[in-house]
Amino acid sequence: MTDNGNVLTVRNLKTHFFSREGTLKAIDGVDFELKPGEVLGIAGESGCGKSVTAQSILRILPKHGRTVDGEVLLSRNGAAVDLLTLDEEGPEIRRIRGKEIAMIFQEPMTSFSPVHTIGNQIIESIRLHNRGLSKREARARAIDMLHRVGMPNPASTIDEYPFNLSGGMRQRAMIAMALSCGPRVLIADEPTTAVDVTIQAQVLELLKELQGQLGMAVIMITHDLGVIAELADRVLIMYLGKGVEFGTVEQIFHNPLHPYTRGLLASIPKLTRGREVIEPIQGTVPSPYDPLTGCPFNPRCAHRMAGVCDLEMPEVVEVEEGHRVACHLYPKDAQT
Amino acid sequence: MKDNEHTARPIVEVRGLRKYFESTRGLLRKTVGTVKAVDDVSFTINEGETLALVGESGCGKTTTGRCMIRAVEPTDGKILYSLDNGNPVDITSLSKEAVRRLRRKIRLVFQDPYSSLNPRMTVFQIIAEPLIINKLIKGTGAARDRVAELLRMVRLDPSLMDRYPHAFSGGQRQRIAIARALAPNPRFLIADEPVSALDVSVQAQVLNLLKELQHKLEGLTYLFVAHNLSVVKYQSDRIAIMYVGKIVELAETEQLFTQPLHPYTEALIAAAPEPDPRVARTKKRVVLAGDVANPADPPSGCYFHPRCPYAREICRTTEPELRNLGTPEQPRSVACHFAHELSLQGIQ
Repeated sequence: MTDNGNVLTVRNLKTHFFSREGTLKAIDGVDFELKPGEVLGIAGESGCGKSVTAQSILRILPKHGRTVDGEVLLSRNGAAVDLLTLDEEGPEIRRIRGKEIAMIFQEPMTSFSPVHTIGNQIIESIRLHNRGLSKREARARAIDMLHRVGMPNPASTIDEYPFNLSGGMRQRAMIAMALSCGPRVLIADEPTTAVDVTIQAQVLELLKELQGQLGMAVIMITHDLGVIAELADRVLIMYLGKGVEFGTVEQIFHNPLHPYTRGLLASIPKLTRGREVIEPIQGTVPSPYDPLTGCPFNPRCAHRMAGVCDLEMPEVVEVEEGHRVACHLYPKDAQT
Repeated sequence: MKDNEHTARPIVEVRGLRKYFESTRGLLRKTVGTVKAVDDVSFTINEGETLALVGESGCGKTTTGRCMIRAVEPTDGKILYSLDNGNPVDITSLSKEAVRRLRRKIRLVFQDPYSSLNPRMTVFQIIAEPLIINKLIKGTGAARDRVAELLRMVRLDPSLMDRYPHAFSGGQRQRIAIARALAPNPRFLIADEPVSALDVSVQAQVLNLLKELQHKLEGLTYLFVAHNLSVVKYQSDRIAIMYVGKIVELAETEQLFTQPLHPYTEALIAAAPEPDPRVARTKKRVVLAGDVANPADPPSGCYFHPRCPYAREICRTTEPELRNLGTPEQPRSVACHFAHELSLQGIQ
């Protein structure tokens, strides 16, 4: 297996949840690649499977969830390991989690234990992944990391408990912990959804700056297309467990192809001069338990072709370089 | 509406509204501090217009809205509501019974349609309840007709009225909540973050529905409480920006966005993520340092001064008054010592 210069390649990922009510296809065919040092934005509405994608990569799915198909290739020294073949609780995946792929969450309180100081938790993670580092050295590194994320008085804040910090500061502490082992990939799952706009701006600036300094690749999961437009180099749009469109940020925002992507962009109010008109997408996201054949977007699509879209799942087609879409409006044979 | 400046009739006038919460400690509930959630807030809402209250969490926007129907008892101030016959009453001095009667005319729509609808009631019961409690309708037949009419108004299928809320998606539930609010023919609707809990593609449906209803039901007035600036810009005629319990700027929407006068407004506009990579990557960034001030222990002088890039000595010591800097035709007010000399950046 070669890695084609990608740090992470996800192919045909399928994760299903099994429960008494039936099988929920949370992810049903997601493909993307992540180049070193780039920011990939994954956007979609609640229930589209964007968070489950992150959990599938790190193998931290809830008990009743299972990845049933696909590959998650992480490049290591020129070779690629498929994370899906590793033992979920084995030593190898544990070395990767936190050390090579780190994650930050929407609510910082979920990544910190409330009964330990933030310092102890950051030091623990540093020493876990760097055997032989003394406590003192690890502490110095933790303070340095807190300093880098803009924590005021890091040398004393390090001994604070998470509940003593404000929302924005907690977010910074969580980012410091995630970056303390120098990961090559950072997965950020809605990192700014729970904070106020002015704090969101601080966190986004900080992530941009750190990403530039440390050169890590970032997967930014969000429902906010504004955040994607600010940060991402490339974008994956998901709908009901499927990747429907993938391209550069320019391609997605200025030449969207999938009717769902177009609909999303047309339905958000923008801060432009003058009065504007927004066009909602009709209908609502169907329940993932409901049987749906064909393209998942077909019941809401304005360009729906009866007899085609409601029967067959469209194939992913590369319409221009690096710009892929899964929609019957762009048939495969039209390509050369 | 934009064109009714000459005929503008205030429906609600809020004067010097204050709501202080005491924080207590211990068995004897000794008062240890006062949180000034709403601190001397004044504004007027004209009939048929949409006024937005905007700010970050804890700025007092929701408490202000709740004081207006006495869901929260104001500490001080007057809320003058002009009755159907044009006579004003002060909501803060009404008896409980009178407030109850007034709540037919002033209605609330909440943020989360999952918790605001009783899961054990059918849609019919939910929407008809305010009609029955207020004895506005007699007989099940008439009630069902009215509920069907309301459901059509919010673009839901009336044949679904005997189902329970769980059968509906978030956007549909918010429509049900709006239908319930509209049932007794209110004149004034307080919508507290009505779309923040909804999916992006559904938010637009609810926003457009609210606009459409205002157009259809003449004179329907909205107080729109929200934190999302792009949504507010789309929805409102005028906007009041709040920071730590006070209004810092109040202006017509277009004016506020193109020429903000308060540094906090400028920062909010700059911080709003723009869904256009070309704009997002070229726009001037004013990233505010620090956190929102703690309303239990606000800073001296102007509450915004510790975060303000333009703060000077006077800002640390003296609190700026909300003063009028507009013209008689286009009034606008701002609470900043240097509003007249700063040239702040709005949207491009």
